[in-house]
Amino acid sequence: MATATDVKKRMVRINGCVASAQAAKYADVDVIAAYPIRPYTATMMALAQMVANGELDAEYIVADSEHSQLSISHGASSSGARVFTGSSGVGVQFAYELYSPISGSRMPVQMMIADRTLDPPGDFGSEHTDALSTRDMGWIMGWSCDAQEAFDNHLIAYRIGEDPRVLLPQMVCQDGFFVSHITGDVELPDTGQVKEFLPPYKHPYPLDPRHPVSHGPQIMPEQGPPLQLERARAMEESMPVIEQVHEEFAKIFGRKYDPWVEEFMTDGADVVFFLQGAHAVTAKFAIQHMRDRGMKVGMVRLRTIRPYPTDRVREVLSKFKVVGVIETNMGLGSPSSGGVLYSEVCAALYESQHKPLVFSFMAGMGGEAIVLKEFYWMTEKMLEVQKRGKIEKRTHWVGFEH
Amino acid sequence: MPTIEVQRQLLPILTSPNQGARFFNPELPSSEPFVPGHRTCAGCGPSIQYRMTSKAAGDNTILVGPTGCMYVANSSYLCTPYNVPWAHTQIGSAGSFTAGVAAAYEAMIRKGKWKGKFPNIICEAGDGSASDIGLASISGALYRNHDCLIICYDNEQYANTGIQASSRTPYGGMTTFSPPGPEVPEGKKLFPKDLARMMAAGHPHCYVATASVGYPIDLMNKVRKGLNNKGASYLMVYTPCQKGFVYETPRSIDLGRLVVECGLYPMWEWNPEKRSYDYSFRPQTMRPVSEYLKLQGRFGHLHAEHIAKLQKFANEQWRMMGVELPEALIQAADAKNLVNMAAAAEAQAVAETL
Repeated sequence: MATATDVKKRMVRINGCVASAQAAKYADVDVIAAYPIRPYTATMMALAQMVANGELDAEYIVADSEHSQLSISHGASSSGARVFTGSSGVGVQFAYELYSPISGSRMPVQMMIADRTLDPPGDFGSEHTDALSTRDMGWIMGWSCDAQEAFDNHLIAYRIGEDPRVLLPQMVCQDGFFVSHITGDVELPDTGQVKEFLPPYKHPYPLDPRHPVSHGPQIMPEQGPPLQLERARAMEESMPVIEQVHEEFAKIFGRKYDPWVEEFMTDGADVVFFLQGAHAVTAKFAIQHMRDRGMKVGMVRLRTIRPYPTDRVREVLSKFKVVGVIETNMGLGSPSSGGVLYSEVCAALYESQHKPLVFSFMAGMGGEAIVLKEFYWMTEKMLEVQKRGKIEKRTHWVGFEH
Repeated sequence: MPTIEVQRQLLPILTSPNQGARFFNPELPSSEPFVPGHRTCAGCGPSIQYRMTSKAAGDNTILVGPTGCMYVANSSYLCTPYNVPWAHTQIGSAGSFTAGVAAAYEAMIRKGKWKGKFPNIICEAGDGSASDIGLASISGALYRNHDCLIICYDNEQYANTGIQASSRTPYGGMTTFSPPGPEVPEGKKLFPKDLARMMAAGHPHCYVATASVGYPIDLMNKVRKGLNNKGASYLMVYTPCQKGFVYETPRSIDLGRLVVECGLYPMWEWNPEKRSYDYSFRPQTMRPVSEYLKLQGRFGHLHAEHIAKLQKFANEQWRMMGVELPEALIQAADAKNLVNMAAAAEAQAVAETL
């Protein structure tokens, strides 16, 4: 383990995109597949410069589409190379075909996503629908809320995904602009720390002429169920590894993250926000203000949505009287007629003896900031629901109601 | 860290005469990266091509198989015909997955993570993948010049899905998506996309060639030239499909000759150094297209005017290669000198076998 004297850490002020690029550099990736789309592009711009400067030895491929980006990543990962790719918005969806083949062939490709609203009508702003629409494709997935966490999550995700007990691809998501383009202080580690934490990628059965293997042959219907069961198990069995890797990360880098949820001012709280990603930063300020005024409000931020920590979410949320889910995604025609997080929360709480009242807020849509005033409004809605003892409706569109 | 130089292999060119497909040839490599036991149809042109191609490449090879016949019929879970590493990829990922494999080996060898000579990386894409859904991905791989060989095994249709028209299906070719009927007597109305020329014109730094299973030595040499070329190469191979073309099973190789002899499949090489086409390949004889068409049920519905159109198309191909046309072929491009393939009832009977 690196000792205190030979650790050369340094603080830099960078945005989320550059933090992701730095993480890829520290991970010494072999193949990078790029294709431009805002806002994640800045990550690939930074990596291109690192390769041009000779700071990073990698094959930097400018692909002809996102579909090709993911296919290149699939091929390179299948051959034994550590791969980095990324996208935003409709780009994430253009590559959709590849998500299941990559996770099904157990290739630990890493994809950075800086969220962007889907078309129509051509909105650059952050909305989580792009990545969330792929949530059931067998990728490990979670959101960061600032540049430092984005940097850390990339290294953590490589370590989890490449673990021979796991071998799964990872989507390391951050909000477009709120994280990707806002600078923050990021501690870049010593390369020795990264070496200690992240061993070289070694796939057990790569495409190597000296040990021929066939990847992805055609199967008969009766061969399908056992293979699908294996995939389901892979997701489930990654959970203890995820916990273990977070602990090791804390030991080596000194930053401790709960792998599943972050709780903020939940002690004594009656009502809580449940959300993912960057709006948690504003939520924390709002909650502090409201606590000062005596409102018993807190926040629970989901850090990993796939695999979904059902039991953990149930344990955490059962303590409260009201849960207000901040969606920041579109689930058109979903059970709540709002987003998709509501159903995930309700599913976790269904088996609970103490069910809080759950409803959702459509806030931060189209990449709009959720301002303090809106957090106060949402808190009042939650407190009203607590007082009334039942919800008014499942989904509130913030900014469209009084 | 100093980078390690990537070592590449060089395969010898075979010297046997071109026209000796059916006899033992001591010059042929003994390695069999693609072995029998798969589920392709009897007489399958693409699988004959697959065997020759992989034989020419040898054992230090990685094969990429986008969705198509050579994926579905070859690889059956728990058994595999591949003695070298093989991976399936999506039908639209032919060029991009292959590029990923090539890039991985460049980086891994350079960074000392894999030791050995750079492998032959071969993608076997069907014409549906190469000319339609995977066109952009192949163009990307050629443009970026990854060290790989992309082969289009051209059976002129989507065969694995049950014989549908691709943009390589010839004019008049009957498929389930281009059936003949009273309103559309010729079946397919469009002429095929000139895919190989498109690849040569758009990526002039690449070695590009056309070949046919009818000429195995020529095919294997083109494979080796493509692999020896440092950078991307593209090879388009005529591979008849017994099921879709509807012919007598033992005639696959004959069709591979006839299609060249009648001018419907021009054989050429694009030389990336000279930046020019090499049209020196000459079949032993030249024939009218009707001699090729009459062996195949998929053309059984054609009228004299349609055959004349195809002859005109073939004549243009000959001219493009700088071949002087004999009078007989010029005459054969006139519908007056031709007869219909079959009566409507007979043509219908063939259609029903599809």
